[in-house]
Amino acid sequence: MTVNKMFVLKNISKTYGEMRALSSLSLIVEKGEMIALIGPSGAGKTTLLNILANTILPDSGEVIVDGITLHAYKSTKQFADKVGMIRQQFDLVGHLKVIHNVLAGRLKDWGFFKALLSLIIPQDSKIAESALEKVGLKDKLYERTSSLSGGEQQRVAMARLLVQNPQAVLADEPVASLDPVRAKDILYMLTKLASEEQQTLIASLHSVEYARKYFKRIIALQAGRVYFDLPVEKVTEELLSSLYSLEEEKQHE
Amino acid sequence: MEQYAQKKVDFMMLKAKLNFIKLSLIAAALLILISWLFIFIVEDASISALFSAKNALHTKQFFQGLVGIHEEQPAFFNIESWKDALSLTYDTLMISIIAIGFSAIGMLLTVIPAARNAAEGTLTLSRKWYNWLIFGFIRCIYVFSRSVPELVWAMVIVFVLKPGILPGALALALHNFGILGKLCAEVVEDLDMRPVRNLASSGASSGQLLFYGVLPAVMPKFITYMLYRWEVIIRTTIVVGFVGAGGLGQQFKLSMSWFHYTDVTLILICYLLLVGFVDLFSEGCRRLQK
Amino acid sequence: MNKRSYLSTILIIVFLFSLTSIQWNKELFHSGGGETLLQIIKSLFQPDLSISTLLLALKSAWITLAYAVTGISLALLIAFILGILASGVLFNSGFGRWLSFGVFRGTLSFMRAIHELVWAWLFVAAIGLSPFAAIFALAIAYGGALGRVFADILNDVPQEPLNALKSSGASKLHILLYAYLPMTASNMLSYTMYRFECAIRSSAIMSFVGLGGLGYQIQLSLSELRYHEVWTFMFFLIVLVSAVDLWSNMLRKRLIL
Repeated sequence: MTVNKMFVLKNISKTYGEMRALSSLSLIVEKGEMIALIGPSGAGKTTLLNILANTILPDSGEVIVDGITLHAYKSTKQFADKVGMIRQQFDLVGHLKVIHNVLAGRLKDWGFFKALLSLIIPQDSKIAESALEKVGLKDKLYERTSSLSGGEQQRVAMARLLVQNPQAVLADEPVASLDPVRAKDILYMLTKLASEEQQTLIASLHSVEYARKYFKRIIALQAGRVYFDLPVEKVTEELLSSLYSLEEEKQHE
Repeated sequence: MEQYAQKKVDFMMLKAKLNFIKLSLIAAALLILISWLFIFIVEDASISALFSAKNALHTKQFFQGLVGIHEEQPAFFNIESWKDALSLTYDTLMISIIAIGFSAIGMLLTVIPAARNAAEGTLTLSRKWYNWLIFGFIRCIYVFSRSVPELVWAMVIVFVLKPGILPGALALALHNFGILGKLCAEVVEDLDMRPVRNLASSGASSGQLLFYGVLPAVMPKFITYMLYRWEVIIRTTIVVGFVGAGGLGQQFKLSMSWFHYTDVTLILICYLLLVGFVDLFSEGCRRLQK
Repeated sequence: MNKRSYLSTILIIVFLFSLTSIQWNKELFHSGGGETLLQIIKSLFQPDLSISTLLLALKSAWITLAYAVTGISLALLIAFILGILASGVLFNSGFGRWLSFGVFRGTLSFMRAIHELVWAWLFVAAIGLSPFAAIFALAIAYGGALGRVFADILNDVPQEPLNALKSSGASKLHILLYAYLPMTASNMLSYTMYRFECAIRSSAIMSFVGLGGLGYQIQLSLSELRYHEVWTFMFFLIVLVSAVDLWSNMLRKRLIL
C-alpha cells in the first residue's frame, strides 16, 4: 500500500562526474511527517531534496510521490500541487512588490492573461493577504521585495508556499544565512504552518540543535547513504558525534 | 537614534530616486505620444498611403531590380563589377583605419588633461591653477565634436577638401575623437592610483609618471575602446561616402540615382562582408589582448 | 616582447600603411579651400542669432526630436519582441533554442549591420518619400542594436528565482512575466536611453532622404554658403544632443538601484 505514503524512494543513485552524491538510497516518508535532514556538507542532502522536488533526475532507482511515479506526472502544475520547495532567500524576484512574489504561488492555476493582468491589478489578493498575515507581514504587501530583510524575505517565500498549498514542503537549508534569533523564528513558523495545513515537511539543516527542537524524525546522511533514520528521542550524542567525526577523519586523510 | 536618522535619509533618497524615474517615464510616454501625433497630423504621414497599389508595384519593381530579374547580366555575376566593388571596399577599409587612427591620436594628445583627477592634480601630483581651465576647454571640444554627426562634418569638410578618401576619414575622425575622448578620460579617472603614487615616492617626474605609471595601466582599455569604435566606424564609412567622401558610399549613391539596382546589391554584399570581417578581426584583437 | 606590444605595433603599422592610400599634395584642397575654411571658422564665433533663424532652428530641432522619438519607440517594440525570441528563454533546450539563437540573432545582426541611412535610402526607393521611410530606418537599425543587447541581458539573470517559479508550477510565459521582465526592465530601459542620444543624431542626418529638421537646414545653409546660419543650427543640434544626454545620464544613474 502506498496510499498514505508521501514519498517512496527505491535504490536511488546519483553521481556528478567522479563524485557519488547518493548511492542506492531507499526511504519512505508518511504523509504529515516532520523530518529533519542532517549530515556533514557534501553528504547528499541537497541532491536528495532536489530529486524529491523533481528538479534533478536520479541516475537509477524509482521515486514515487503520493502513489504516482515521477515520470508519470504530466504537467508541472500537477506536480506543483504535490510538492513545493523553499531555499535560501535568493528565490524571490527582488524587483517585484511583495504581493506579486506571493501570488506567484498561484501561477500554476492562472493563464497568461490573468498573470499579466495581475501585475497591474493584483488578482486573488485576499489569498495573498491572508498568507502574509499568517507569516506576520501583512503591512508589507505593497513594498518592493528587495527592500525587505533576509528574514522577512524568507517569510515571503513561506507565504508563497502557503498560496501554492502543496501537500509536501521541502526546505533546503532554510535558515543558513540568518542569525540565531531569526533562524528560530523562521523554523518555528515553518513547522507550525506545516502542521496547521497538514503538510509533510522535510528540511535540511546544519544545526542538530534545531533539528531536535523542531522536528519529530531525523534522517542523517553520510557519503550518500542513510547513516541513521530515527525518531528524535532515540538520537543519542554518540550517534551524532560519530556522524560528524567520520567527516573529520576523512579530512585528515 | 543616529542609525534611525540615517535610515530615514536613505529612505528619502530612495523616494526621490523613484520619483525622478516615475516623472521621466511619464515625460517619455508623453513625448512618444506627442511625437507620433505630430508625425500623423502635421507631417501628414499615412499608413494607408503606404499600402497603395502604386506603392506595391513600386516596391515590387525595386526588389526585382535588386535581385536582377529582367536584367541580362546582373552586376553580382560580373567579374569586372566585382573587381571594381572590391577595390572600393578596400578604399572604405582604408578610410575607416585612417579615421580611427586620427581620432586616436587626437584623443591621446588631449585625454590626460581632460581627466578630472588630472585637473585636481591627484594624477600627476602637480597642482596648477590653469589645469581646470584646460580641463573645461577640452571637455567642451569633446562635446562639440561628438554632438555633430559624421555626415554633417563631412558636408562641411567637402567645402574645403576635394572629394576623396581624406575628407571622409577626417569627418569620421572628428566625430569619434569626441566619443573616444570622453570614454578614455573616464578610464583615466577610474585608474588605480597606488602604483602611480609608489612611482612618485621613488622620485619620478610627472612626465615619467605619465609614461611608466599611467599609460601602461590605461592602454589596454584604450585599445578596447578604439577597436569598438572602429566597428562602429566601418558601418558609418559608407554614409560619409554619400557626400562624395569616396569608397562604397559614393558608388552606392551613384548606383541608386542611376537605378543600377544590381550594383546596389553588389555594394551591399561587399559592405556586409566588410562589416563582418572587421567584427571578426576586432574580436580577435581583443582575445589576443587578454 | 609580450602579446600586447605585438598588438600595438601591428595596429600602428596598419595605420601608417593606410596613410599611403592618400596622395599627399596640394591637390587635396579645393582652390580657395583655405579661404573657405577661414570663413567657416570665423562664422563659428558669429552665429546668426536673428529671430527668424532662431525660430526656424527651434522648429527644426523639434522635428529632429520627434522623428528620433518615434523611431526609437518603434525600435523598442521590435527589440523587445525579437530580443525575447533571440534570448531563447521561451524555448526548451534543444532544437527550439538552437533555432531561436540562429534565426533571431542572425536577423538582429543583419538589421544593425546596415547603417540607418542606408536603410532609409532603400526604403525611399521602395516606398517613396514618406515620413515612414525615416522612421522605419531608425526602427530597424536601432531595433537590431537594442534587441541584441536585450537578449544578452535576459540571458544574464540569476537562475534561483527562475527555478523557484518553475518548481511552483509556472509556465515559460509566466516566468517571463514574473521573473525575467521585472529583473531586466531597468537595465533594458537604461540601455534604450543610452541609444536615444545616438538616435537624435541619426534623425538629424535623415535630411539626406528628404526629411526636414536640423540636418536639412544645415545642408541648405551650406549650399547657399550662409556659414553663420550653419553654426546656429549646429549649436541647436549640440544643445539638443547634450540635453538628451544629460537626461539619459540622470535617469540611468537612478535606474541602477
